[in-house]
Amino acid sequence: MNINIFRYEFRARRKSVLIWGGSLAALILLFFSIFPGFAGQAALVDELMKKFPPALLEAFGMSRLNMASVTGFYSIIFLFAQICLAIQAGNYGFGLVSIEEAEWTADFLLTKPASRVQILTSKLLAAFASLTLTNLVIWISTFLAIALFSDGREVDMNAVILMLLSVMIFQLFFLCVGLVISLIVKRIRSVTPYSLGLGFGAYILSAFSGIFGDVALEYITPFKQIDPAYIAEHGSFNTPLLLLNIGITVISLAASYWLYLRRDIKAAV
Amino acid sequence: MNIFIHEIKANFKSLVIWSAIIGLLILIAVSKFSAFAGDPETLKILDTMPKPLLDAFNMQAFNLTTVSGFYGLMFVYFTIMGAIAAAMWGSGIISKEERDKTVEFSLVLPVSRNRVVTAKALAALVNCIAMVLITWGISIVAVQSYAPDGKFYSFLVMEMIAMFIIEMIFLAVGLLLGCAMKQFKRSGSLAVAIILVTYFMYVLIGMENDFDFLKYFTPFKYFDAVALFNTGRMEPLYLALSAVIVVGCVAGAYWTYNRRDLYI
Repeated sequence: MNINIFRYEFRARRKSVLIWGGSLAALILLFFSIFPGFAGQAALVDELMKKFPPALLEAFGMSRLNMASVTGFYSIIFLFAQICLAIQAGNYGFGLVSIEEAEWTADFLLTKPASRVQILTSKLLAAFASLTLTNLVIWISTFLAIALFSDGREVDMNAVILMLLSVMIFQLFFLCVGLVISLIVKRIRSVTPYSLGLGFGAYILSAFSGIFGDVALEYITPFKQIDPAYIAEHGSFNTPLLLLNIGITVISLAASYWLYLRRDIKAAV
Repeated sequence: MNIFIHEIKANFKSLVIWSAIIGLLILIAVSKFSAFAGDPETLKILDTMPKPLLDAFNMQAFNLTTVSGFYGLMFVYFTIMGAIAAAMWGSGIISKEERDKTVEFSLVLPVSRNRVVTAKALAALVNCIAMVLITWGISIVAVQSYAPDGKFYSFLVMEMIAMFIIEMIFLAVGLLLGCAMKQFKRSGSLAVAIILVTYFMYVLIGMENDFDFLKYFTPFKYFDAVALFNTGRMEPLYLALSAVIVVGCVAGAYWTYNRRDLYI
């Protein structure tokens, strides 16, 4: 851990954190503001849904959605927040060390009296600190939105807090997976296509398995591993899938250190 | 011409990756579809479901047990992937020169700036066309085992045209961003923001009628798979709107790039 690198990296992301945090807060508050009107209609739909055989609703991923409840509705908003979080964390992960090589500053950095382990650790901690700030914004705007728009309905705080706790695990997944991919490929010129591809790809995979009710895919996409609808319904994590998610994160992290310590850094001539 | 060929080569890998992603998506989805194909039980229950419920899950009126209904459901995912790829190509193809510090080199070549933009835009266009054709080809191969009828093929053509138009919109917007943004990094970030905002609008409209007026702002709503399937034609209003956006953005791209100061 090198405090100079940490400080530099943290400052470099200040603006990005402000923009992402602001957009996420706006997203949560805006979506939640339609809840009072929505809940009335949704209650009727929920009544109707009770008449259908549970097996079918399960197949369409509808069994879990109780949109008239605050938690059920919040789980939908949370899914969209997750897409943003995935892209943001992916951006930081993919760019963590690859930007230095793209901008020809990697050789400069490595001549500093800091080991590669120190460099990578400082950068990771700085990115994690930035992500945690975003995380904090989500906590605050969620409680604010619930206080403002919950319409006096009962809120299952346990499930909401579990979802909020999962944010950190979710961010770390995309940070570490992005980092390890950026170290596996030879060179990353531009970060956004990678993080968009990873984030949206994972989201669409999970949307598919929601519609068509298959199980095989749930294991590989973090949107299923940490499924807000599941949390809203059960009031708990899907523990095996959550452990799988953490496992992938830890393996990616270890592999990143291993790869970065052995990486051949291209320098400008 | 040389710039065009260079760009085609430079973007080839990216085209392969995006096509592989979309191909994988189709294969996974088609394999899941096998659980529904021709299962009258599912159909009966879907028929009795209330419309608002189907709307909320974007399953409006599709007969999920047929290949056409299934492909109607897939449409929005195709367009998202197409839109992301097109926006990335559009915004990257101009701004990457400044990122890679090669922009002075390409601009001292004996070609006008207009021709540089034209060659690059055409290269990105070819990529978009290739992506649609590949999606189309993979789809036709993937659904063969379900013996689709003639109507499916014409519906697929409509979907692919709609996907192409949406790609055009995002490509044009991306080009404009690449030309107009002073810092190359901003064009990519703004492209991300536009994709996310338009997609969230699309979702919001589906959830709540009060936000219906937003439909003019999100290209994902311009082409409704249900209407495409039932009427077999696109709404002229949205076709015109798409044309205005594309022409406006491309014209803006030329205009700003000619007046652009280079940051190197």
